[in-house]
Amino acid sequence: MSTNISHTPAERLRDAGLYAPGDAVLSVRDLNVRFNSENGVVHAVRGVDFDLMPGKTLGIVGESGSGKSVTSMAIMGLLPETADISGSVRYKGKELLGLSDKAMCKHRGSDIAMVFQDPLSSLTPVYTVGNQIIEALTVHNPTMSKQAKEARAVELLRMVGIPSPKDRLKAFPHEFSGGMRQRVMIAIAIANDPRVLIADEPTTALDVTIQAQVLEVLHTAQEETGAAVVMITHDLGVVAGMADDIMVMYAGKPVETGTVEDIYYNPRMPYSMGLLGAVPRVDTANKQSLVPIEGTPPNLALPVTGCSFAPRCPLASDACLHGEPEPVSVPGSEGHRAACIKTDELSGEANAHAIFQAPAKPVSKFDGVARLEREKVLELKDVKKHFPLLKGALIKRRIGTVKAVDGLSFDIREGECLSIVGESGCGKTTTLLEIMEFHPDQVGEVVIGGVSNKVATDSKTKMAMRKEMQMVFQDPTGALDPRFTVYEVLAEPLENLGMPRAAVRKRIMELMRLVGLQADHVNRFPNQFSGGQRQRIGIARALAVNPKLVVLDEPVSALDVSVQAGVINLLDQLRAELGLSYLMVAHDLSVVRHISDRVAVMYLGKIVETGDVDEVFDNPRHPYTRALLSAIPVPDPNLERTRERIILQGDLPSPLDAPKGCNFATRCPVFAALPAAKQEKCLTLEPPLASEGQQEFACFFPDGEIDADMLVVHA
Amino acid sequence: MTNIIDPIAEIDESRAADQDVVIGKSRIIFRRFMRNRTAVAGLFIFLALFLFSLFGGFLTPWDKDTIDPLNIGMGPSPDHFLGTSQAGIDLMALIVEGTRISIFIGLIVGGVSVLISAVYGCTMAFFGGKVDAVMLFILEALIMMPAILVVAVATSGGGGLKNLPSWLLLIIVLLFFSWMGTARLVRSLSMSLMQRDYVKAAKYMGVPSRKIVWRHLVPNIGSLLVLDFTRGITGAVLAEVAFSFIGIGIKLPDVSLGVLIGQATGQVSSFPWMFWVPLTVMFLLTGSLAMMNDGLRDAFDPSSSSIGRAKTKTAKKTIK
Repeated sequence: MSTNISHTPAERLRDAGLYAPGDAVLSVRDLNVRFNSENGVVHAVRGVDFDLMPGKTLGIVGESGSGKSVTSMAIMGLLPETADISGSVRYKGKELLGLSDKAMCKHRGSDIAMVFQDPLSSLTPVYTVGNQIIEALTVHNPTMSKQAKEARAVELLRMVGIPSPKDRLKAFPHEFSGGMRQRVMIAIAIANDPRVLIADEPTTALDVTIQAQVLEVLHTAQEETGAAVVMITHDLGVVAGMADDIMVMYAGKPVETGTVEDIYYNPRMPYSMGLLGAVPRVDTANKQSLVPIEGTPPNLALPVTGCSFAPRCPLASDACLHGEPEPVSVPGSEGHRAACIKTDELSGEANAHAIFQAPAKPVSKFDGVARLEREKVLELKDVKKHFPLLKGALIKRRIGTVKAVDGLSFDIREGECLSIVGESGCGKTTTLLEIMEFHPDQVGEVVIGGVSNKVATDSKTKMAMRKEMQMVFQDPTGALDPRFTVYEVLAEPLENLGMPRAAVRKRIMELMRLVGLQADHVNRFPNQFSGGQRQRIGIARALAVNPKLVVLDEPVSALDVSVQAGVINLLDQLRAELGLSYLMVAHDLSVVRHISDRVAVMYLGKIVETGDVDEVFDNPRHPYTRALLSAIPVPDPNLERTRERIILQGDLPSPLDAPKGCNFATRCPVFAALPAAKQEKCLTLEPPLASEGQQEFACFFPDGEIDADMLVVHA
Repeated sequence: MTNIIDPIAEIDESRAADQDVVIGKSRIIFRRFMRNRTAVAGLFIFLALFLFSLFGGFLTPWDKDTIDPLNIGMGPSPDHFLGTSQAGIDLMALIVEGTRISIFIGLIVGGVSVLISAVYGCTMAFFGGKVDAVMLFILEALIMMPAILVVAVATSGGGGLKNLPSWLLLIIVLLFFSWMGTARLVRSLSMSLMQRDYVKAAKYMGVPSRKIVWRHLVPNIGSLLVLDFTRGITGAVLAEVAFSFIGIGIKLPDVSLGVLIGQATGQVSSFPWMFWVPLTVMFLLTGSLAMMNDGLRDAFDPSSSSIGRAKTKTAKKTIK
């Protein structure tokens, strides 16, 4: 790898060709990609170098806009013709850049294959799955016989763990769940035994339990084919257990490269350190604030003069602003390179929390008060929401019921945060909507701030309740009307309460300060803010009417890791300062553990386990909770490699053939290991929510053995 | 309440937003439109025709009611730039008048029908359920109605509408039949907008329904409405020409492009200018609108390729 900083690109390329290890299956040198935009030419990728050895896994980590996906598309030759690409991409020594689309087709899918992020849209809905696998085979093996191709397709489906592969060959994509479709995508990608497999955020769109399954499949696929894998992700946990090497990208440039251990245990670039500190951990009850990286990545339409991270870096000095630092080797560890002039100072003991001045964990006035002595702000009693499942064109027959929410009871006290967790489809969002709808005709009772939905027949009571509870949405972009200025957005709830104009103005200025935005930004439109700032506006809108309870629907899942930390810290702070209560729905259990006091685990419309967050996470009793927790990847390579993982079989059962007894029996790892006599109990009786101390769970055999087939350890 | 974010961070964030990354949406749309050469040409042709229809009368001393007994059925000459009709009326004067009526009909029908469909479609989508079902039934029923028969009956004096001028009658009838397609489009678009979080947020804040429709739904389907406005003009102009051509649209003494073309078809070989001139004007009118529409779609559609290339630009730089 070249350390000759002063060379021109042409010289660097020539040298790179000479020095590139001969056995590298893919070697990328000085890759640059430029796009045109309304603001001028954007330099999206600025000099990426790496060598990929056969059978190894390279993880490319970075936030959105860091150029990681563009890099992979450039390697595959999938960028639009309008893009300007320069540098060198060599597959086994053969130059790929500059090849025509037709010539690239020979390599795509046979030598280099790709798994895309969204499994729902990457399969053609009108062809069977078998057809699409066979198509991939036909393109590169025209002489292969039909029988051979079918046999190979069945073999591939079996390899990626699809049950009864022979019958499933004739299934259409819509008959598969998201996780299954992603397996099919992997099957197609490895159909021709590629030497390089590029996986672009392969699990981002999937649930954690399914993510664990798919990562497992990727692992087997790599073992079976011996391919080298490029794993692109924003999730530091996902690559910790899989990758051999890591490349951290920022503003289109690799800022730190090295082995997994180097990056996770001995990061030398402040950005990598911040990223690692910004991720909450699911495995420890560390109630420290997260490391917020303030600011936003630089605008790549402008030339970069200094270190691209300097404006956000707490350690930046004048020297950082003159000339962009090239990656230099870290003394003492071979192959570990960081693009920072202070690399030497940032050795082992440097603490991200101290460097980034993470705020202290805020203390709420309710922290000292026992839970039972606090007032209830929200109470649900046996709330149910069933949707009829209809069939028939003219006369609709009822063929079943979807029990989206099936008898939910819980309460939230002042100053506490309750999180509802579970896979998608378990009814968490429906629960939130039921609470927000607040209608007398609902099944079950919702009491908000002492007002029950059963008596809320007039608009006055409803208005009073709306003042008590507000909502923050998942997607900060979708939650703000693009045609409203921030002022109008924040004024809407206040004007609705009939507040006079002067008071509205005053309150809006107060709100802007409260969520950490500049007061003079009120005249801007939402599209002029970054994602994190938009979410702050969303939070400000929710707080406008001074509610007691804020409902948070996946408040940070649409945000980048570094921005996410800032918003989580803000939520923490607001709860302490204003004495708010939160009801949060989230799929990211690490965030849940960090922010909440209590947690409720939902499965198929029912709460299966609930209790204090630390108790439930440290000592999960229900097998579903255990599986869920074991599926979360932890950003710690050593731990990740030795950890036992429960891989659940299959997906959520269809509501049509919902199990009679315990809902979870079909996928339960404990159930699978039980003797037949005991299994009978699970299949016929519905386990009630029994309490043990503070913790409540719905399982007959909480201490049961886990079936060995479902337990995986990577040693 | 204290400021909980340290001031340095605030400055940083504002700096990031202050760089000229922020471009107003209207400016982006304008720029994208201007990148499409054809569309700009279309816009100019349309504007020229519009001005011609307003002030073209000053180009000729004749008007559409004056007969020139010395030049009956004559070809273009210094006295009459475009020649005269077989009744001795200056064709230039007729064309100016006809173009004005055609554009007038187009603008009114295009504009008003877009308004009707926006309100109708949004209402359907917002209330849903029974309201939606009934309104959709009415809409489908109107689509089924044979427009040409209604036009024929109405313009030939049926239904006691004799006193109205024929162009006004035609506008009313065209309006009656032109809004259904767009209304259905608006309905489906609004339905997807209803699912947006900001509409939900307004609902959960207790904002009244009509306020939500007016403040959140109507402005957000604006780009569709602009596109449909230009398309509606084209449609109305073509419909007017077609109806007048077969003699059931504009009636004499009112003139329109359709009437002129219709009258001249019988004598194309003896009075070719009477046929080709109005036909050319009509093509220019509808053609320019179609060209504009293409550019507008490019401008409003974020996925269109009107962003320009990076390759050519950098190539130039390296040559230099």
